[in-house]
Amino acid sequence: MKARLRSYAGLMLVPALSILLALLVASVLIIASGLVGTEKKVNLLLPLIAYRSLIVGAFGNFKGIANMVVAAAPLMLTGLAVGVGLKAGLFNIGATGQVLSGGLAAALIGMQVADAPVLIAIPVAMLGGMLAGALAGFIPGFLKAFTGAHEVVTTIMLNALIQLIVSGLVNDVFRAPGFSFARTAPVGSAELTGLGNTTLHLGVIFALVCIPLSYWLLWRTTVGFEIRAVGANPTAAFYAGMKPRRMMILTMSLCGAFAGLAGAIEVLRLGYYPAVFGTGIGFDGITVALLGQSNPIGIMLSALLLGAMRAGAPLMQIQARVPVEIIDVIQGIILIFLAAEIVVRKIFRLRTAGVGAGELQTITRTYGEKVVG
Amino acid sequence: MKKLYIVVVALIAASFVLSACGTAAPPAADELKIGVVTDVGQLEDKSFNQASYEGGKAAAEKLGATFDVIVTQNISDYKQNIQTFVDQGFDVIITVGFLIGTDTAIAAKENPDVKFIGVDQNICVDEQGAPDATFTCAGDAATLLPNYQGILFAEEQAGYLAGIVAGSISKTGTIGSVAGTSLPAVVAYIAGYEAGAKSVNPDIKTLTQEVNPDPAKGFNDPATGKAIAQQFIAQGADVLFQVAGLTGQGVLEAACDAGIYGIGVDVDQVQTLPNLSKCIVTSAEKKLKDTIQAVAESAATDEFKAGEVFYNAASEPPAIGLSPYHDLESVITPEIQAKLDDAFAKMKSGELKPPRK
Amino acid sequence: MSVAQSPPPRLQMRGITKRFPGVIANDKIDLDVKAGEIHALLGENGAGKTTLMNVLFGLARPDEGEILIDGNPVQIADPADAIARGIGMVHQHFMLIPVLTVAENILLGAETMANPIFLDRSEARRRIIELGKRFGFELDPDAKVETLSVGWQQRVEILKALYRQARILVLDEPTATLTPQETVEVFAVIRRLAAEGHSIIFISHKLYEVLEIADRITVIRRGQVVGSRLPSETNEDDLAALMVGRQVKLAVDRGTSHPAEPVLTVENLKVKSDRGQEVVRGVNFSVRAGEILGIAGVAGNGQDELVEAITGLRRSTEGVVRLAGEDITGWTVRQRREHGLGYVPGDRQKYGLVLGFPISDNLVLTQYYKSPFARGIQKQDAAIEQWAQRTIEEFDIRTPSWAVPAGTLSGGNQQKVIVAREFSRDLKALVLDQPTRGLDVGSIEFIHKQAIGKRDAGTGILLVSAELDEILELSDRIAVMYRGEIVAVVDGRTANKEEIGLLMATGGRAPAKESPTGTSSQPGADPDTIRGGTS
Repeated sequence: MKARLRSYAGLMLVPALSILLALLVASVLIIASGLVGTEKKVNLLLPLIAYRSLIVGAFGNFKGIANMVVAAAPLMLTGLAVGVGLKAGLFNIGATGQVLSGGLAAALIGMQVADAPVLIAIPVAMLGGMLAGALAGFIPGFLKAFTGAHEVVTTIMLNALIQLIVSGLVNDVFRAPGFSFARTAPVGSAELTGLGNTTLHLGVIFALVCIPLSYWLLWRTTVGFEIRAVGANPTAAFYAGMKPRRMMILTMSLCGAFAGLAGAIEVLRLGYYPAVFGTGIGFDGITVALLGQSNPIGIMLSALLLGAMRAGAPLMQIQARVPVEIIDVIQGIILIFLAAEIVVRKIFRLRTAGVGAGELQTITRTYGEKVVG
Repeated sequence: MKKLYIVVVALIAASFVLSACGTAAPPAADELKIGVVTDVGQLEDKSFNQASYEGGKAAAEKLGATFDVIVTQNISDYKQNIQTFVDQGFDVIITVGFLIGTDTAIAAKENPDVKFIGVDQNICVDEQGAPDATFTCAGDAATLLPNYQGILFAEEQAGYLAGIVAGSISKTGTIGSVAGTSLPAVVAYIAGYEAGAKSVNPDIKTLTQEVNPDPAKGFNDPATGKAIAQQFIAQGADVLFQVAGLTGQGVLEAACDAGIYGIGVDVDQVQTLPNLSKCIVTSAEKKLKDTIQAVAESAATDEFKAGEVFYNAASEPPAIGLSPYHDLESVITPEIQAKLDDAFAKMKSGELKPPRK
Repeated sequence: MSVAQSPPPRLQMRGITKRFPGVIANDKIDLDVKAGEIHALLGENGAGKTTLMNVLFGLARPDEGEILIDGNPVQIADPADAIARGIGMVHQHFMLIPVLTVAENILLGAETMANPIFLDRSEARRRIIELGKRFGFELDPDAKVETLSVGWQQRVEILKALYRQARILVLDEPTATLTPQETVEVFAVIRRLAAEGHSIIFISHKLYEVLEIADRITVIRRGQVVGSRLPSETNEDDLAALMVGRQVKLAVDRGTSHPAEPVLTVENLKVKSDRGQEVVRGVNFSVRAGEILGIAGVAGNGQDELVEAITGLRRSTEGVVRLAGEDITGWTVRQRREHGLGYVPGDRQKYGLVLGFPISDNLVLTQYYKSPFARGIQKQDAAIEQWAQRTIEEFDIRTPSWAVPAGTLSGGNQQKVIVAREFSRDLKALVLDQPTRGLDVGSIEFIHKQAIGKRDAGTGILLVSAELDEILELSDRIAVMYRGEIVAVVDGRTANKEEIGLLMATGGRAPAKESPTGTSSQPGADPDTIRGGTS
C-alpha cells in the first residue's frame, strides 16, 4: 500500500512541478501585461491577484464550481481519448476531428428525437455521438494496423478532412431554415440544459462515469491488460499470443468514442450545431492526458484544473484585468515543461524516471516502426 | 537549489495570505459598473469587440463608472461570462454579436435590475419573454424585457452613401461588391449600395458575390476575396465595395493592384489598412463606438430604450456615415459631396428609405 | 636518476568508488595495466565492470579515487578527453554506421583534413591500410560496413581506436558474437596489439577464453576486486567460484535422455525474411519427447526466421510444422501455445517481457485470460498475485516483491521470469532461443538445470544458440544450420567443437580463403537480421 502511494506520488511529481513552473513563468508575463494594460504600471502582486481571482472564480461559490465541472467534463473525455491511446502506444492527435464528428452526429440525432422524452433523447443523441467518434477513430486505427500508416499523420489529415465535411454538411445539407446564419435545427429535448441557475448539466455525469469505467477497463480487465501490454511492448505482446493489430483498431475506436462523446456533450449543451464550432477541447486533451500521466484519475484531476482556469477566467479578467489569453499561455507552458520533463527534473534535481515512463516515448517514437501481429 | 524551494514556498504562502485578506477592495455599493462580454475572438479585432470595448469605456469614463471586459473564448462560455458580471454586481452589461443574443435574453429575464445592451442583436422572444427558437417572435421584447436593448444599424443607409460615391466615380459604368456571408446586415449594405449607385447612374451595372455561406470562411479568406475581385475587375468593374471582414482585405488589395477604387466597411478602413490608403476612397461606416457609448450612457438614465432599436442617420449622434476620404479627397468633387449631403439629409428626415434587401 | 627504475604502469586506477543511489557500483577498485599487457576483467553482470570502464572512458565521474596514465594523475571529463589521452573502447554493440564505408566510419569524429573544408581521404585510406597491415588484418577501406561480417566489423572498431592512436584499448565482450574460428583470428590480432606495446583490457565472462588470452586476470564481484590471478596459477572452477562467491558447477550433468515419439516436426519448411529473401530453405528435422535438439549456426543463417515460423510469429511459404502429430502450420501464436508449445525468445527485453509491468503480470503474460487469472473479462489480481508468489519462490527469482517492474530486475532474473512463465506449465515441445545470452554463470547454471529437468519430464526441446559451448553442453543431437539449410546432424555427446565450428562457417564445404572484406568468412549471414545483444 505504502509503495503504491509512493509510486502515485512519484507519478504526480513532475506534473505538479510543471504546473508550478508554468505559473512562475506566467507570472512574469502577467506583470508584463500590466505594463501594456489599463493600469500601465509594474505591479509585482498582479500575478497573485490574478491567481487568487482564478481560484475564487472557480471555487468561490457553487456556480463557479459548476462552471469548472462543466468545462472539465469534455476535457476529461478528450483527455481519455488521448491518454488511453498513449497506454496502447498510440498518439491520437485526432481528438479534434473525433469531437467534431461526434458533435455533428449528436446534433443530427438530437433533431430526430427532439420531441422524445428527455431521458431517451439525451442518451440516444450521446450514443450517436460516441459511435460517430468511434468511426472517426477506427479509420486511423485500421490504417495503422493494416498499412502501417502512422496515426499521427493520418489523424492530423482526418482532422482537416472531417472539419471540411462537417462544415459542408452544416452549411448545406443540414442547414436549418429561418436562421440568418448556418446552423442545424434545435435538438429540443436532447439539449443539455443547466440545472437551476447553474450551467451544470446531465452530460457531466456521462463524463464522470467514463473515468472509473476506463480505470476499470485498463487495470481490471484482460482487454485493458492487452491494451497496456501492446502499448508498452508490442513485440512482447505479439510473442505472448496477443493480437496487436486488433488492439490498435479497438483502442483507436475506443479513443474516438470518448472524443465523440465530448463533442456530443458540447453540442447538446448549445442545443444545435453552429456554423463555427471552433473548439480547443481536442487539442487540450493532449495537455490533459500528459498532465494526468495517462492515468484516468490523473486525467480527471488535470481536466478539473484546466476547467478551473476556464471557470475562473471571467473573474480574473474583472479583478486582475489580465487578458484571458494568459490561460492559454499557462496551458502551453505546462505542456512545454511536461514535454521537456528532463528540464523539470534538472531544475528540481530529481532522478530521471526509470522504466515505464512511456507516454513521451510513444509521442517521440520514430516513424516507420514495423507493425507486428 | 534550497533557495528555489524557499522562494516557491514563500510565493505560495503569500498567495494564500493575499487570498485570505482579499485584495480587490469591494467598490462602493452605489458606484455604477459597466461590463462588456465580447464575441468569440480577440478584443482588438478592429470591429465589434473593439468598438464595444471603446464605447463602453468612454461611457464609463464620462459617468465615472467602473469598467471591465470579459473576452469570450468559446461559444459555450457566453452564459458563464454574463453571469460573472451579474454576480459581481454590474449594472450595465454590453454583449457583443448575434450569437450571444439568446443568453443575453435569458440573463435579461433573470436579472430585471441589470440593463443589457446587445450589440448587433435581434431580439426574438415568445409570450413569456424567453428566447424563441421557432422564430415566431410572438412576444413584445420592449415590454417583456424592459431592461434589454438590441442595437441594430441601418446598414442600407451607409451602403446607399457608398453607392452614390461608387456610381459617381465609376468610369466604366460597372461596379462590384463582395459579401462574406449573406447575413442580414451584409445584404442590407449591398442592397443600399446598389440603390445608391442607381440613384446617380440608372444604367450602372452591378456585380456581387457571396464568398461562402459559412461565416468562419466567408469572412476569413483574403485569397478568395482577391480572386473574386480580380474576376470583377476583368469584367470591367472599377469600384469595389467589400462587406467581407478579413476576406475584404483581399478585395481591397486587388483593387489597389489594379489601380481602381475600393470602398471599405463598418469602420474607417484607412485606419485599419493604412498601406491601402491610396485606393480606399472611403468606408461605409457604422458609428459603433459613438452609438454604443451613447446607449451605455442612456442606461444610467431614464432614457434607456428597450427592444430592438435601429440606429441610422437620424440618430444622435448619427449612427451611419462615410469615413473621411483621406488621400483621395480630390476624387470627391463638390457635386458628388452635394449629392451625398442631400441623401443624408433626406434619410435623416425619413424622406429617403433605401431598401434593406 | 641513475638507479634503474621500472616505468610506472601504463594505466593505474586507484581506489575508484562510484555510488549510485542505493548501490555502490564500484567500491575502492584498484586496477593496474602495464604496457603490452592483456589484462582480463572478469565478473558477473552487474558486478561493476561496465561502470569502471565508463569511469575510465569519461562517461561517469568517480566519487572517489584517481586515474594515472604513465604515472601522471589525469582527470577524464568526457569520451573526447579519454580518446585524446589514448584510451580506446570497443563496445559489445558496435558503434558503426552500416551504410558508410570502412574509411568513413573510421574517420567519423577524427577527420583528417586536406584543408579546412575537404577531407583528405587518400591520406586516411593510406593510414587505414598501413595500420591494418601492421596488425595483421587488411581491410578494404572502401567496403561498406553493412557488407562485412561481425568479426570484420569488430576489426573496424579496433582499427577506429588505433586510428585515434589508442594505447589503452578496452574490449567489451569481443567474442560474444563470433564463431570459434573468428575468435581465434581476433585473438591473434589482440596478441599482436599487445606485442606492439598496447595495453588491452579484455572484458569477458567466458572463463576458458580469459585463461587463454590474458596475462593477468582481475575478478570483480559486487563492486569490489575479489582477486587477481595469473592464468598459470588458476583454473575455470577457481575463477567461477571467485566470480560468483560460491562453488558452481560449470557444466551441468546432462544425464541420459530417453527420447520417445517425435513431438515437434518440421517438414521441408521454407521461410522468407522481412526483405523477401528465402532464408529458411527447406528444413527438415524432428524433436522427440525427452530430448534436446540443438541448432548450431552463425547468427543470421535463418535461425530467427525458423524459430518464428515454428512459434507462429511468421508465416512460412512452404512446408509443414507439426506439434504432437497435428499440423499447426496455419495456427496463431495463441493456438500453438494452448496446444503445449513453449517458447523462450532470444531477446528477452524486446520479445519476452513488458519491462514496465510488474513481475506478476509478466508471469501471466501468456495466460492472463484463462481461469483462475481471469473471470470473463475481469482480471483476477488475487489469483495472479498468489501464482506469482509461488512461482517466484519456485524459480528463485531474486526480487523484493512480485509488484516491482520487471525492468528493475537483473538480466538473469529477467530471464528467470520468462523461464518460469514458460516452464511452469505442461509442455509438449519447447523452443529455447539464446536462453542464456548475456547471463552470469549462476543464472546460466540455473537455466540449464531447468532445461534438463524439463527434458527429463518428457518435453521435446529445440535449443537455438549462438554459443556453441551451450549447444555442446546440453544437446542430445546437434543440427548445424548454414545458409538456411540443415547441413549436418551430429550426436551431441560425441561432437567435436572444431568440427562443428567448421560446419558453421563453411557448411561443410572446403573453407574459402578469407577475403579482405571478410564477406566470405561468413557467407549467408545477412547483417540486417543479426539481432543486437541483450543487456
